[in-house]
Amino acid sequence: MSDQRIFTRYKANEIRSELQIVDVKKIKSGVAKKKNALRKIIANLTLGNYSEMLLLLPEILKFWKIEDDMEVKRICHEYIRTIGSIKPRSTVESLPFILNDLRSRNEKVQIMALETLVSIPFSKFSEEAFDFIIHLTNKKTVPEQLMKNAIYSLVQLDDYDHERVMSLLNLLYDIVNHQIEKPTIQIAALNALCMIHDVDGNSQPVHISVETAFNILELLPTLNEWDSATLLEILPITVVPQTHDNAYDMIDMVLPHLQHVNSAVSLSALKMVLYLLNYIEEVNQTIIKRLSNSVIALLEKPAELQFLVLRNVILLLLSRDQSLLKFDVPYFFIEYNDPIYIKDTKLECLYLLSNEGTLPQILDELEEHATDIDIQMSRKAVRAIGNLAVKLGESSAGKCVDILLHLLEFGVDYVIQEIISVFRNILRKYPKDFKNDVKTLVKYVDYAQDTESRNAMIWIITHYSDILPDYLTLFETFCTNVLNESPEVQFSVLTSSIKFFVRYPSIETEKLCICLLRECTEDANNPDLRSRAFMYWRLLSLAREDGSNVTNEILKDIVDGELPKIELNTKLDPIVLEELELNVGSITSIYLKPTSQIFRMSSLKSLPNSPVLNSDKSLLNVIDDLRSIGISNSNDRLNGKNHNSNKNNNPVVHTMSDFDKPAEKVNHLKGSRKSSISSPSKLARKPSMLMRKLTLKKKF
Amino acid sequence: MTSAVYFCDNKGKPILSRRFKDDVPLNAIDKFQVVLSDLEEESSIIPPCITHNGIQYLFIQHNDLYIVALATSLATNIAEIFTFLHKMMDILGDYLKTVEEESIRDNFVIVYELLDEMMDFGIPQITETKMLKKYITQKSFKLVRAAKKKRNAARPPSELTNSVSWRAEGIKYKKNEAFLDIIESINMLMTQNGKVLRSEILGSVKVKSRLSGMPDLKLGINDRGIFTKYLDGNNIGVTLEESDQPSKSSESSITNTNGKTKTNIELEDLKFHQCVRLSKFENEKIITFIPPDGDFELMSYRLNTVIKPLIWCNMKVKVHSKSRIEIFCTAKAQIKKKSVATNVEIIIPVPEDADTPTFKYSHGKIKWVPEQNAIVWKIHTFPGGKEYAMSAELGLPSINSEEEPKFKRPVQVKFQIPYFTTSGIQVRYLKINEPKLQYKSYPWVRYITQNGDDYTIRLS
Repeated sequence: MSDQRIFTRYKANEIRSELQIVDVKKIKSGVAKKKNALRKIIANLTLGNYSEMLLLLPEILKFWKIEDDMEVKRICHEYIRTIGSIKPRSTVESLPFILNDLRSRNEKVQIMALETLVSIPFSKFSEEAFDFIIHLTNKKTVPEQLMKNAIYSLVQLDDYDHERVMSLLNLLYDIVNHQIEKPTIQIAALNALCMIHDVDGNSQPVHISVETAFNILELLPTLNEWDSATLLEILPITVVPQTHDNAYDMIDMVLPHLQHVNSAVSLSALKMVLYLLNYIEEVNQTIIKRLSNSVIALLEKPAELQFLVLRNVILLLLSRDQSLLKFDVPYFFIEYNDPIYIKDTKLECLYLLSNEGTLPQILDELEEHATDIDIQMSRKAVRAIGNLAVKLGESSAGKCVDILLHLLEFGVDYVIQEIISVFRNILRKYPKDFKNDVKTLVKYVDYAQDTESRNAMIWIITHYSDILPDYLTLFETFCTNVLNESPEVQFSVLTSSIKFFVRYPSIETEKLCICLLRECTEDANNPDLRSRAFMYWRLLSLAREDGSNVTNEILKDIVDGELPKIELNTKLDPIVLEELELNVGSITSIYLKPTSQIFRMSSLKSLPNSPVLNSDKSLLNVIDDLRSIGISNSNDRLNGKNHNSNKNNNPVVHTMSDFDKPAEKVNHLKGSRKSSISSPSKLARKPSMLMRKLTLKKKF
Repeated sequence: MTSAVYFCDNKGKPILSRRFKDDVPLNAIDKFQVVLSDLEEESSIIPPCITHNGIQYLFIQHNDLYIVALATSLATNIAEIFTFLHKMMDILGDYLKTVEEESIRDNFVIVYELLDEMMDFGIPQITETKMLKKYITQKSFKLVRAAKKKRNAARPPSELTNSVSWRAEGIKYKKNEAFLDIIESINMLMTQNGKVLRSEILGSVKVKSRLSGMPDLKLGINDRGIFTKYLDGNNIGVTLEESDQPSKSSESSITNTNGKTKTNIELEDLKFHQCVRLSKFENEKIITFIPPDGDFELMSYRLNTVIKPLIWCNMKVKVHSKSRIEIFCTAKAQIKKKSVATNVEIIIPVPEDADTPTFKYSHGKIKWVPEQNAIVWKIHTFPGGKEYAMSAELGLPSINSEEEPKFKRPVQVKFQIPYFTTSGIQVRYLKINEPKLQYKSYPWVRYITQNGDDYTIRLS
């Protein structure tokens, strides 16, 4: 069969005639032709040729009687499903046929018929589906596959008739709690319950008792891989351990599944263990090692999965003050063949993994990539080096700065721009230590072309004018064409010129200052710039006036005040983190944004309360000895209660709007030109109130 | 929860689709193409998941295809989806040989059928080729012929919901054999001056089972974690130097190797096929399983030890700007004298605009491959301890159009070393027991060490 002919748009008539010719002479070749014609119908549906294909409904119904060929059957059902989802009413004629199939003795056909019934959003169809499902639950022996399908059908039906599905939920609870001999069905029911509840924002989340959970977990070894994945995926939150022993036992049962070859299973197992860790007091070092190892092992999977795992590594690294899991730095070294999105994410992991000990290794790697062919990669690497200098202590900063200076010689403009931009941050953190390097840096003044690096350069020149003899000439390069600059640069230029004048009142600085003020007040279109210029102008005139209480010192204080040191904030809101941790392996974990932020409707996932819930992540102790876990102290419960009250007493200060301000490692996947590391971070600002009002918020 | 799976061509136009849930509009996939090309313009970083209008597009690439899964909820388990998509490609590969646009179009009926079986309501169901092949066959039935003979021809076997969902009953072979391949791939990242930045061993135990009935297999390997119960404490973990080589006898059938010095190693990150009883392994450290029929990967492991490069290349590159580039390379096989590395390929990058190569070398063959911008040095057999050298000179154009970034591609090395495992892992025994049939069976074992995806030497 040639695909060419199948995958082209046909008129209904053409296909109809093909189907009819065959009806006359029943020969072998006719059969093939007829089938081919049917295939064409489906192909045309894929192509979106709905209106023509709609006309063929009577023909399709003729074929429905054929019992023994599954392919034809499948095509018929597929046809009805597609047409039905567009024009539900037009397919009513097919209902008797579908019902006939539903009564078939062939399990396969029954399943197909049920799926078709469910997929058509029309009350007549769903009524029948409901009847059939109820009929099934009353029967004693139902093929498992069919039962499973029936259960999942309810999820789909929930979209059409929520009330009716809600009334059937008890059936599902019944299955979850009692049908222990059929684990597949049990899990299907549990999963369906969770899905129905997820959609419905009002109802309480599903809970199952610890006993039931243990019963199901017992079955884990007998399940097929996807069922295990599903189970481990839904168990967190649905089951709440009531004692430490509960949690320890569950961890023991789940741990082996970290070794499952199916990544979905092992990631879900990881998620489950992470969840349970909130309910125990101490954890054995070997378990931590196994968790870490299982994560590392997942890095060998196909790129997409690797990406997911890396994003989750970021999450795990952020989740506690001291990361629970231990990752070796070399695993995050960038490989030449990695897709670019992996490289990008690895850089972020490296940045987060850095500390005094790992710095040399990481710096080597970052330096390697600062000269990468890909512009974004190299910018990001440079940015990471700069941020490391700010993040870590002084001694480390020295090494970072050395590398940055070395990279300057590489001589590529975007690298230099990035270096200039990060250097400002470094200088703000360590104003004294790298004074001497400023002279080297300003040699590259001509490279500063984009807004951020220009801004940074202006700031550097202004701030270190005392050690730069030719600061005015350097600065003038920025003044020549102020009106064509971006607003941020215009502001910097204006502010800097005032600073120069206040700092060194001389004819040149005065001239420059007046010239700029005039330009900004008279020619500028930007009202903010104009009013700022006027403000400065008035301030300066006020200082000149005799008898005013604005002395030169006060003026200096206002215009040229001491800037506070900056700090990088890498922490996420604890509530966000809590929710993210419950979403390991989901899409949320890729964006590192909680579902509740994106869909306001959906309920916030949080750790369910239990007598043994740790109120604070730091309460989990890691023990080194080989003492078997599962020993819990008798005063656990007392402590547990205290934890609870703590949790309640600490009102959460953070508001939802905090989520909008990503902490620096949250990557904007939409790839804005600036890397995530450069995204705005909270800076500790505490200048005088006046200062705060005068300066616009600048990005660092 | 996947709402739909689409197969799209290399431009993102849908070829074939299967909708599992009703919550995404029919035209959602048309946006994929647009969003993808927008992203490409915007940045070079295109993650495998895209959000547009509240719909999540999760995709993988395979040959000239994009396989896209759509989902609506952010809580969707993306690990499951990606695993499923990759698994699906494996299965389609088994059915269609090569999975590409054309073969998908040609066989779209069977693809539909497979999709239906593999996923219900967006939840993966069964992804074992052997089991699927039992009832989804490429041969379709006659169309109109009466329904006498094969009334229930296509019915899923009942094993699907049994606890052993990966093996059908009633398999028969005349000769019962099991083949074990132990393949270790070495990933190493080295700098030009010989510093090893990263080294790891990725091992995989592949089994080809041709066994009748429902055999129960028990595998013994010299993993420390597995064997501590049976051995004394004087066994220390192995480093490369100590690892003794598997003797030639390991090629034949294996029983307990009593006479030899037992070396035990500690494997990290063991991953097992779903047939392995994980709880049994957890408690008793015994690998027991009922194998699927045919080929499968029984387990994989990772070892993170510092190893010295098995094939080390000492590189010297001299670039005489605007005239020529000189490359000197000495390769050394740092393996046991008894072992031989075969099919060694050393791929050395050269600038794109290089020309007129001249080579001098003692062994093997050297070719310039302009498509890859590299010269490839092939050495068919490379005995342990030997050192071979080559030099090459290539011309460079005298005019440089622009300031090019330095070429930073690494040197890549490919090799295979048969009868040798770097970690020293060894199969102690493979016991096959079929309770009902009680047949005689023959286990075979083979070891090989090869390069991993990333065995590279960075040039500075």
